[in-house]
Amino acid sequence: MTDATHQTDTTAEEARLKYYSASQWTLIWWRFRRHRAAMMAASVLGLMFLAGIFAEFVAPYGPVTRDTNYIEGAPQVPRFCDAGGCSVFPFVNGTKTERDPVTLRAISVPDPEVRHYLHVFVKGEPVKLLGLIPTDRHLVGLNPDVDQKIHFWGTDDLGRDVFSRTIYATRTSLSIGVIGVMISFVLALIIGGIAGYFAGVIDNIIQRVTEVIRVVPIIPLYMGLAAAMPKEWSTTQVYFAMTLILGLFGWPTLARRIRSQLLSIRNEDYVIAARLAGARPGRIIAQHMLPSFTSFIIVDLVISFPYMILSETALSFVGLGLRPPSVSWGVLLQQAQSVRAIEQTPWLFIPAIFVVVAVLAFTVIGDGLRDAADPYSEAH
Amino acid sequence: MLRFTLERLVGMVITMLLVSVMVFLIMELPPGDYADRYAFRKYSGTGVNVTEADIEAIRRDLGLDKPMLLRYFDWIGGIVLRGDFGQAFAFETSVAKVIGDKVWLTAGILFSTLLLTYIVSIPIGIFAAVRRGSAVDYGLTVFSYLGLALPNFLLALVMLYFANRWFGADIGGLFSDQYRDASWSVGKVWDLIKHLWLPAVVLAWSAVAIQIQTVRATMSDELNKLSVTAARARGVPELRLLIKYPTRLAINPVVSTIGFDVNRIFSELPIVAVVLGLTELGELLLRAYLDLDMNVAGAILLMLTFTIVFMNFVSDLLLAWLDPRIKLGA
Amino acid sequence: MPKMLTVENLSISFRTSEGVITPVHDVTFGVEAGRTLGLVGESGSGKSISTKALMQLLPGNASLSGETRMTYTDKAGKEIALGRLKTGSKELRRIRGGEIGMIFQEPMASFSPVYTIGNQMMEAIMLHRGLKKRAAREYAIEMLNKVGISNASARVDQYPHELSGGMRQRAMIALTLSAGPALLIADEPTTALDVTIQAQVLDLMRDLQRDLGMGMIFITHDLGVIAQIADDVAVMYLGTIVERGPARDVIRNPQHPYTQGLLDAIPSVEHLHDRLKPVPGDIPSPTARPTGCPFHTRCAQAIAGTCDVTAPTEVSTIPGRAVRCWLHSDKDRNAA
Ligand SMILES: Nc1ncnc2c1ncn2[C@@H]1O[C@H](COP(=O)(O)OP(=O)(O)OP(=O)(O)O)[C@@H](O)[C@H]1O
Ligand code: SF4
Ligand SMILES: [Mg+2]
Repeated sequence: MTDATHQTDTTAEEARLKYYSASQWTLIWWRFRRHRAAMMAASVLGLMFLAGIFAEFVAPYGPVTRDTNYIEGAPQVPRFCDAGGCSVFPFVNGTKTERDPVTLRAISVPDPEVRHYLHVFVKGEPVKLLGLIPTDRHLVGLNPDVDQKIHFWGTDDLGRDVFSRTIYATRTSLSIGVIGVMISFVLALIIGGIAGYFAGVIDNIIQRVTEVIRVVPIIPLYMGLAAAMPKEWSTTQVYFAMTLILGLFGWPTLARRIRSQLLSIRNEDYVIAARLAGARPGRIIAQHMLPSFTSFIIVDLVISFPYMILSETALSFVGLGLRPPSVSWGVLLQQAQSVRAIEQTPWLFIPAIFVVVAVLAFTVIGDGLRDAADPYSEAH
Repeated sequence: MLRFTLERLVGMVITMLLVSVMVFLIMELPPGDYADRYAFRKYSGTGVNVTEADIEAIRRDLGLDKPMLLRYFDWIGGIVLRGDFGQAFAFETSVAKVIGDKVWLTAGILFSTLLLTYIVSIPIGIFAAVRRGSAVDYGLTVFSYLGLALPNFLLALVMLYFANRWFGADIGGLFSDQYRDASWSVGKVWDLIKHLWLPAVVLAWSAVAIQIQTVRATMSDELNKLSVTAARARGVPELRLLIKYPTRLAINPVVSTIGFDVNRIFSELPIVAVVLGLTELGELLLRAYLDLDMNVAGAILLMLTFTIVFMNFVSDLLLAWLDPRIKLGA
Repeated sequence: MPKMLTVENLSISFRTSEGVITPVHDVTFGVEAGRTLGLVGESGSGKSISTKALMQLLPGNASLSGETRMTYTDKAGKEIALGRLKTGSKELRRIRGGEIGMIFQEPMASFSPVYTIGNQMMEAIMLHRGLKKRAAREYAIEMLNKVGISNASARVDQYPHELSGGMRQRAMIALTLSAGPALLIADEPTTALDVTIQAQVLDLMRDLQRDLGMGMIFITHDLGVIAQIADDVAVMYLGTIVERGPARDVIRNPQHPYTQGLLDAIPSVEHLHDRLKPVPGDIPSPTARPTGCPFHTRCAQAIAGTCDVTAPTEVSTIPGRAVRCWLHSDKDRNAA
C-alpha cells in the first residue's frame, strides 16, 4: 500500500468518525445544506428579512412620502447608456411634464437631456433605524441637491414610492407572520401538550373543540374577528389585534401533531420513569417528550408561515385587515384590485411578487427541512 | 353500515351544535349590539335625535335585553324550528330574503369547483405516479408549489385580464347584463353555466395543486404494493389492473379530504368574489362584515360551516363504501 | 424427464442512487415437469428477483444481462423465450397466471383488501379459462373446497381481512391454481404463517402439485422445508447458485461449506421447523460484493490467496450434482 492511498484512507476514516459522532442537529444541517433549492430559498428569505428589519435604511423614502411631480409614474430603471452615450455609473434620466396628445392629461415623461446619477449612502429623510437610531442616510438614492426623486418601481395614485412602500410592507407582513406563528406555537404546545399528555376525557374534549375550529372556513372566521375590531383603533392596535387573530386560530394542525406524537410516546419507559420520579407534567413534556420530535415541530412551524402570510394579505386586500396608513403586502395590493390596474399601473402588482416568493420560499425550506430531519421519508 | 352511519350522524349533529355556539359568539363580538347599530344606521344624518331610551325600546322589542344564553336559544331555535335567521338591518328585511337564491348560486359554484378539482387532479396525479421522475412529473411538482403560493385573488385578476382580452368584455360576474335581474329561465341557467367556469378554475386551482400531490403520493405507494404485483402475475391487463387495484385505493385520501376542499373553497370565496364580481354568499358575507350586519354574517357563516360538516359526513360514508375495512375498525 | 423451464446465465442489475448493483450473477437452473425445485438461501440472496425475472415482474430500474436465456415449454409443447416477450403482449399475459402461477410470502398483502376473495378469483378464472361470470363463480367455490376451505360458498363473498392467515394463504393457492398454471412458483408461502399451519399448507401444496402434475419452484430459507417438499435443490448465496443437485443427496452429503453451514443451523430432524440459527458471520452488503468466492468472508475453510482472489467455477464431481467451490476443483485452482 502506498502512502497516498494510506492518506486517503485515514481522511475517509476521519470523515466517517465525524459523521458518526455528529449530533442530530449537525446531521440535519448537513443534509439541509445539500438541498440546493432550500438553500436558495433560505438566502432569498434572509434578504427579505434583512430588508424588512432595516427598512428605514433600505427604503429611499418613507412609506407615505408623496412625490406630486410623479404620480402613477412608471418604474425608473437605472441605466448605463442613453441617447447621449454611456457611463460607468448607473443613472436615471430626469423627467419633464408634458400633455398627453390624446387625453390632454398632464403626464411625466423622461427627459433625455438630464442625467441623475445614483449614489449610495445618500442623505435623505431623517429616520430612526429600528425605531431607535436616528440617521438620515439611505442605502441608495439621488443626490439630495437634485430636485427629483428616484422611483425604482414607480409610484401610486398619490405619488408614493412603490419600492419604499414594499420594503416597509415586507417588515409588517413578515413580522405578522412571525408573531402569529409564535402565538399559535405556544397555544399548540399548551393545548396539544395537555391533550397528548393526559389523554382520556380531556383529550376527547380538546379534540372536539379542535374539530370545530378546523371545520369553520378560516378566512371567513378571521374576517368575523377582524370585523369586530373597533373602527377607532389606532394602526398599532389593529396590527397587534391582527397578529393575535391569526395566531389564535393557527394552532389546530400543530396541536394535533404534538398530541399524536405525545400519545405515541407517553408510555415509553423513560417517560414513565420521569413520572414515577415525581416530575411535574409540564417538566416531563418539555424535558423528556418534546425533544424527541423537535425537528418535526420546526418543520410544521416553517410550513405554517405561508398560511399566515396569505391570510393577512387576503384580509387586508378586502379591507378587513390592516388599514391604511399602515402598509403591508395586502394593503398595497388593495390598490391593485381591478383589471384596469393591470393595464395601466402594472407595477402596483410588485408586492404580489413578494407574497409569492415569500410563500414559495417558506414552502421549499419546509420541504428541505423535512427531508433533512427525516431522511427516510420520501421527498414528496 | 347502519350503525356506522348513525354514529357519524350523531357526531355531525354534535359538531354542528358546537359550531353554532362559536358562530353566535362571533356575532356577539363587535362592540355595541344590534339595537345600537340599527338606531345609528336608521337615524344618523336624518336630524332625528335618538335617545338611550329609544335604543332601549328597540332592544326590548327584539329581545336583546335577555341574557346571552337565552338569546342563543332564541336564535338557534328560530333557525331550526322556523328557518328564521332574524332581521337584516342593512336591507330592512329578513335575513332569509337577503340571502334568497344566493344559496343556490353558491352551491353551483361549490359543486362545479369540486367537480373540476377531481376531474383534473385524479387522472393527472395517477399519471404522475405511473411516470415518476419524468419531465411531466417535475413540471407538476413546480405547478403544485405555484398552486400553493399564488394568492387566489391575484390568480383571479390575471385570469380576468386574459379572459377579457381573449373572450371579450363580459366575463366577470355570474350573469350577462341581460339576465342579471331576469327571473329564472333556461336561458338564464345556460348563461350562468357559461360564467361559472372562471370562478371554478380560480377556486379549484390550489385544491388541484394539493390533490395532485396527494394522489401521486398514495398512488406511488399503492403501485408498489404486493397485491398489484400479484394481480400482474395473474395476467390482468395493465390498464384494467391500474384502475381496479391501485386507483381504487389512491382516491381514498381525496375522498377523505372532500370536507377540507369545501372548507378551502369557502375560505377563498369572499376574496375571489370581490375580484370576479360574484354575487353569492361569500361576497354577501364580506359586505355584511363590513356593515357589521351580524345577523346576515352569522347566518352565512353557519350555512357555510354546516355545509362543510355535512360534506365531512358524506365523505365518511363514501370512504366506508370505498374501503370495506373501515366499517369493521370504525 | 424433459425440462419445462431452463434458465441460463441469468444476471439481474438494478440502477440505484448508489450506482448499479448486480444482486443476481450468472445463475443457471432448470425445472423438470412434475418435479419440485427448491431454491434456498439467506435473505437478500436473490431468490425472489430471480423468479420474478421469469415473468417480467421486476421494477423499472432492473435490467437483465444480454447473456440471459430463459426458455419455457408451455402446455402445448411450444418453446417460449420468456425474456423476449413484449410488455403488455397477449402472450405474456397468457404466461402470467395461465402457464406460470406465483404465490407470495404475505397472503394478506397479495390480496387487494377492497375486493372479495371471489371477485379476485373470478377475475383470474375468466381471464384464463374463458368462463362466464356464473360458471367462474362455481369454479372458484370448487377450488376453495379443493384447498380445504370449509363453507366455501360463503367464504367466496368475504373480504381478505375476514379470513385467518392460514385460510388466506389457502385462498391464495386456490386463486393461483384456478388459472390452471403448469408451473407454480411459491415464494416462501409458509414463512408468514403459524408453525402448525405451516405444516398443513406445506402438505397441501405437495399434494396439489402431485395431483395436478405441475412443476414447482419452492423458495425458502429453510433446508428442513426443502427436505419435505423438494425433489431438486439449488442453494443460492449472494446471487449465485453455489450448489445444486437432487435434494436428498445434497442434504445427506453437502459439498459446499455454505450448504453445510445451512444444515448445521438446523438443530435436528425432530425440530425441523424451529427457527433457523443463522450461519455465522454477516451477509455482505449488495453494494460491496466480495472479490473471489462471494462466501470467503464467512467461510471457515477458505483458502487464503485463492478464495479471496478468484471466483470458483461450477464443477460436477458427482453425476447430477454441481458445486462452486475451490475445495472441489483443485485442477482449476492450479490453473488460475
Ligand atoms: N427494487 C430494487 N432495487 C434495488 N435493488 C433491489 C431491488 N429489489 C431487490 N434488490 C436487491 O436484490 C437483492 C435480492 O433481493 P431478493 O428479494 O430477491 O432477495 P431474497 O433472496 O428473495 O430474500 P428474502 O429471503 O429476504 O426474500 C436484495 O438484497 C437487493 O439488494
Ligand atoms: S471457494 Fe473457498 S471461500 Fe468459497 S466456499 Fe469454497 S472454500 Fe469457502
Ligand atoms: Mg424474497
